[in-house]
Amino acid sequence: MRSQESSRTTLSPSRRLSAWLLVLIPAAAAVPLIPYATEVSHFAVSMFMQTVTYAIAVLGMVVVLGYAGQINLAQAAFFGFGAYGVALGTVSYGLPFWVSFAMGIGVAAIAGGILGLTTLRLGGHYLAMITISFQQIFDLVAVNWIALTHGPDGIAGIPRPSLFSYELSDDRAYLLLCTLVLYGLIALVWWLPQTRLGRAMRGVRENELAAEVIGVHTLRVKVTAFILCATLGGIGGGLYAGGFAYISPDNFNFTRAVEFLSMVLLGGAQSPFGAVLGTTLLILLPEWLKEMPPSLQFIKDVYLAIYGLAVILIMVFMPEGLWGLLRNGWKKLRSPVPVDTTSIPKLELDIPVTDATPLLKLEGMQKFFGGLRAVDGIDLEVGRGTVHALIGPNGSGKTTMLNVVNGIYKPTGGRIIIDGQDVSQKAPHERAGHGLGRTFQNIRLFPAMSALENVIVGAQRDNNPIEPGRPALRMRAMSALQFVGLADKADAIVRSLPYGHQRLVEIARALAGHPKLLLLDEPAAGLNQTEKMELVELLRRLRSGHGLTIFLIDHDMGLVEKISDRITVLNFGKKIAEGAPQEVLRHPEVIAAYLGEEPANGVA
Amino acid sequence: MALLELRNVASYYGNVQALRGVSLRVEQGEVVTLLGANGAGKSTALRTISGLLRPASGEIWFEGRPIHDMAAEKIVRLGISHVPEGRRIFPGLTVRENIMLGTSNRGRLPKKQMDEEVARMFEVFPVIKPFGNALGWTLSGGQQQMLAVARGLMARPKLLLLDEPSLGLAPLIVQQLFATIREIHARGTTILLVEQNAHMALSVANRGYVLETGEMRIEGSPKELLGNDEVRAAYLGGHAAATPR
Repeated sequence: MRSQESSRTTLSPSRRLSAWLLVLIPAAAAVPLIPYATEVSHFAVSMFMQTVTYAIAVLGMVVVLGYAGQINLAQAAFFGFGAYGVALGTVSYGLPFWVSFAMGIGVAAIAGGILGLTTLRLGGHYLAMITISFQQIFDLVAVNWIALTHGPDGIAGIPRPSLFSYELSDDRAYLLLCTLVLYGLIALVWWLPQTRLGRAMRGVRENELAAEVIGVHTLRVKVTAFILCATLGGIGGGLYAGGFAYISPDNFNFTRAVEFLSMVLLGGAQSPFGAVLGTTLLILLPEWLKEMPPSLQFIKDVYLAIYGLAVILIMVFMPEGLWGLLRNGWKKLRSPVPVDTTSIPKLELDIPVTDATPLLKLEGMQKFFGGLRAVDGIDLEVGRGTVHALIGPNGSGKTTMLNVVNGIYKPTGGRIIIDGQDVSQKAPHERAGHGLGRTFQNIRLFPAMSALENVIVGAQRDNNPIEPGRPALRMRAMSALQFVGLADKADAIVRSLPYGHQRLVEIARALAGHPKLLLLDEPAAGLNQTEKMELVELLRRLRSGHGLTIFLIDHDMGLVEKISDRITVLNFGKKIAEGAPQEVLRHPEVIAAYLGEEPANGVA
Repeated sequence: MALLELRNVASYYGNVQALRGVSLRVEQGEVVTLLGANGAGKSTALRTISGLLRPASGEIWFEGRPIHDMAAEKIVRLGISHVPEGRRIFPGLTVRENIMLGTSNRGRLPKKQMDEEVARMFEVFPVIKPFGNALGWTLSGGQQQMLAVARGLMARPKLLLLDEPSLGLAPLIVQQLFATIREIHARGTTILLVEQNAHMALSVANRGYVLETGEMRIEGSPKELLGNDEVRAAYLGGHAAATPR
């Protein structure tokens, strides 16, 4: 009975999707055929052409801004690379259209990659400045390097291509081609978020540090996003040049870049459909306003003001854009599909204790911030399959120490050895690839993604010993969620989960990556006594059942005493005590600096 | 007349109903604690009282007047100060500036009085004293928590709403913090306290309420709550005494 029911519920989403497609596909297919069916003015066809080619460039903005969360105010430059590639290739050098087209896209992609590399050091408003400067340089070169670009006069007489020996000189045929390209690219951009790369991009957008720590090569992801964005810009620009037969620098200036940004924000940066919607509206809106009936003649005089006001209002009241509004409305109508938790395999975590050498070894580790010696020469060994706790007063350097171990900070001195390998100079995502998992004191999840998606990003780290492919990733993630008792919350957006559940999702995300060593920064903070007991159970299951090594910070002495094999106490960045729990917690210096005189108030 | 009274309050987070007809009273001079599991609605209750969330239905009365339709900044000026969960300090301001901003609801203070009050906070939280001129973000997590509580106390509120003040603090500091809570209570501040550390919370409270999935379940004195099997099982980590296997 139960399995029947669950098979029904798993079928329904695809059924709903196909119902949608049944309406959408014929409608979309009909659009480019309109000019064939009825008499359409030349002006309308060129508006149509402009919308389609711009929309392709705006799809690029969806990838870079909507998915990867990186600001780009140079999309008009990438659009321009594509257009100038076609124009210069065909007109100045007499190359075939498609060769010129490919060259323009290639140049755009390379430029996009270079721009993406600047994100290594810069983000946010600095990145905005860099992209604006890049856009300005493009504009200046296009206007002033007359020998190459023909300067402000632009380039005329750009030919139309042929396809399979079919000449596309007819406007309608060329428009049909552009529209089909747009549809293909919409499908690609729509599919992207569900891929490994797409999830990594969204992880970078939601919390870059967390993404890096769980094994996402964040720089590579950002550069890839810029390359994809620039490529889409180049395709749009190339088709634009062929469509209008004439280009000049003012088609590709900063104003155009801002227009592309407005289009994607207006329509909804998270969806390719939003991009198309925003582009269409921002191209059509001024035309509609211009063509008001005579009684509303005054609108014609102020249409630009109305247009600007409309954009502002939409941004203020619909931060997710028009498409976001439509989608949220639709989601409200939809009933959630229950998750089938019966067929989830048990979480496989086993780590054989192969030898007696310590799994984690710190040698004279130091981390100074200016004059502050946050971690001041720590030697420490964490044995395989043990739980090792790090305690100490607030500000004694515990979290800093964890951050150095997992690579967020480079050590000022000393070495970090994990499983016999010196990882001192490795980036956090590389350490994740060595089997280092971690959670944070102030939870760092990807808030707008579902619990399952959060955990899948954890599962897709490099060298994770699971089968390749999406089903295995999904299964791994479901197993990890099941292990922490949250499989039934898999589809919930993590932002909406209560605090304690978010902590568990973070642990599940780390476990999905098959860690050898798990670093937990105050896992019990914000949990009540009963939840703490459940956490103790969970940690015990991890250690004794699976041989996982755990290095944790917590202030709940009851919990620490219950699960730790060894405790290290820090004060002012130095080790003041180390040993078995009973002995360390009775150490006079530890009582004076940290525990206080009253009895421990943790898990009784 | 109670200082604060909630009558049948319902609140939503988006589509999710977080409070379902919650009623509670806080009398002048009391420390009242709100217990419950994660997601039970404790923080939501505080946010609804301080005006950060508007109740969907029900009434909230403070000193004999309704406040459920008031804006948050107006409620602060009436004398309700909310120290939210999770260290919402100003990262780009110095520790001293953070503390001083706590007096925003009290109008302009003479410099001398301001200095004295800030000095008093550093007495209460000596750990953060050396960092008076350091920027907020440079503090460790636990130090930020102390700073947030200090800033809340600077409002000299009639009613202090404390949301998990002990989160992430070392045991010694938790003891000091609760000693401080007792002291500010002794000086006449009424306190509504949300705390996961139920033993500690009940040790300072006059009364306690237990929230469960947005509904008020149990009300009683610390003694009654500590003796209640259901409460012990769910929030104090004890086992329900009378359930032999």
